[in-house]
Amino acid sequence: MIQAESSFSKEEEEKLQVAFSLEKQDLHLVLETISFILEQAVYHNLKPAALQQQLQSIHLDQDKAEAFASAWAAAGQDTIEKFRQRVLTPQKLETIGWQLNLQMSESMQAKLKSPQAVLELGVSNEDSKNLKKVFAEFSHQELFEFYNKLETIQAQLDSLT
Amino acid sequence: MAAAGKAVAYGHGESGGGRGGFLGARVPAEVEAMARAVRELDKETFRRLLKVTVNALEGKDCKESVKLIAESTNLSEEQLAFLISGMYTLLREALRLPLSTFKQEVFKEDLKELRIPEDFITDFSSIVFGNRRPVSEGTALTRRSRLPGVQDFKWRVDVAISTSSLARALQPSILMLLKLSDGTAHRFEVPVAKFQELRYNVALILKEMNDLEKRSILKIQD
Repeated sequence: MIQAESSFSKEEEEKLQVAFSLEKQDLHLVLETISFILEQAVYHNLKPAALQQQLQSIHLDQDKAEAFASAWAAAGQDTIEKFRQRVLTPQKLETIGWQLNLQMSESMQAKLKSPQAVLELGVSNEDSKNLKKVFAEFSHQELFEFYNKLETIQAQLDSLT
Repeated sequence: MAAAGKAVAYGHGESGGGRGGFLGARVPAEVEAMARAVRELDKETFRRLLKVTVNALEGKDCKESVKLIAESTNLSEEQLAFLISGMYTLLREALRLPLSTFKQEVFKEDLKELRIPEDFITDFSSIVFGNRRPVSEGTALTRRSRLPGVQDFKWRVDVAISTSSLARALQPSILMLLKLSDGTAHRFEVPVAKFQELRYNVALILKEMNDLEKRSILKIQD
């Protein structure tokens, strides 16, 4: 909804112009104003009632203010949450896959019987659509050490709440 | 290499009886060629060649030493090739097998079958069963074929207080930097929910590894 690109395609904009009998500039003004109001509602984490009050205090018609308030009541929380989750780093962990293998032997050593885990991390990049797959192999000991580090991170997260 | 023609289907029978030695039913060509050629060698040349082979197994560069041997003996390049590759294959295959099940007597018997001189058998034996073995084994372990492992794992926990979209965000986030053993580094953000998923999955794998290691199939000695 609130994005850098325009919310409506060219055809949709033309349809809206006809539906509301507005000129192109006027339509843009209306859409931009609505966007701005909603962005501010997100920024200040406004409750629907507060939003309505604020709009009325700048002399927006009551019915329009009410329209904003009810739309915000319906979708406000989700929108705010989406913004909370947004990150500035381009790469984000999206998927986690793994495989547990029992290696029986290999070219340099016979009769191993060593368990090995392969972790597959799918990392997204803001620029490309594809998920970059990162593979890492762990022996039992290595995985245990990795897990201990994850537990340390968890302890840090717990201390925040 | 000719080792591939060893036909894994025959398996490695350490029983030593007949042609079922530790090299398998079909002895690699270079080992047989080496066994024949080695009978003509004097002890000193043999020991020098053995030293070069052991260095190769330990991962060191041997070009210089091989050149020296070529110059100081009257062995042709072809002969040298057979001798060194044969010794290398023989030792590598012997070093693959764990000491718990592969005994010195069996090894010596197998070499006798190839009609390698007694002295040389003793020398071979001391490399496989002597105290030089850990070095070769160590090299074998580092040269293993495996996917990259995690060499370094750095992380940070941030709390976003305010962003351009939210005056009061108060959202924790985790940033990870994974350096793998193949030299690549990956930096990415982990949403808190994904982190929980990662932690859960790693714990699950550890549990399954434990279960696997307890199972009786791993206790079977072979």
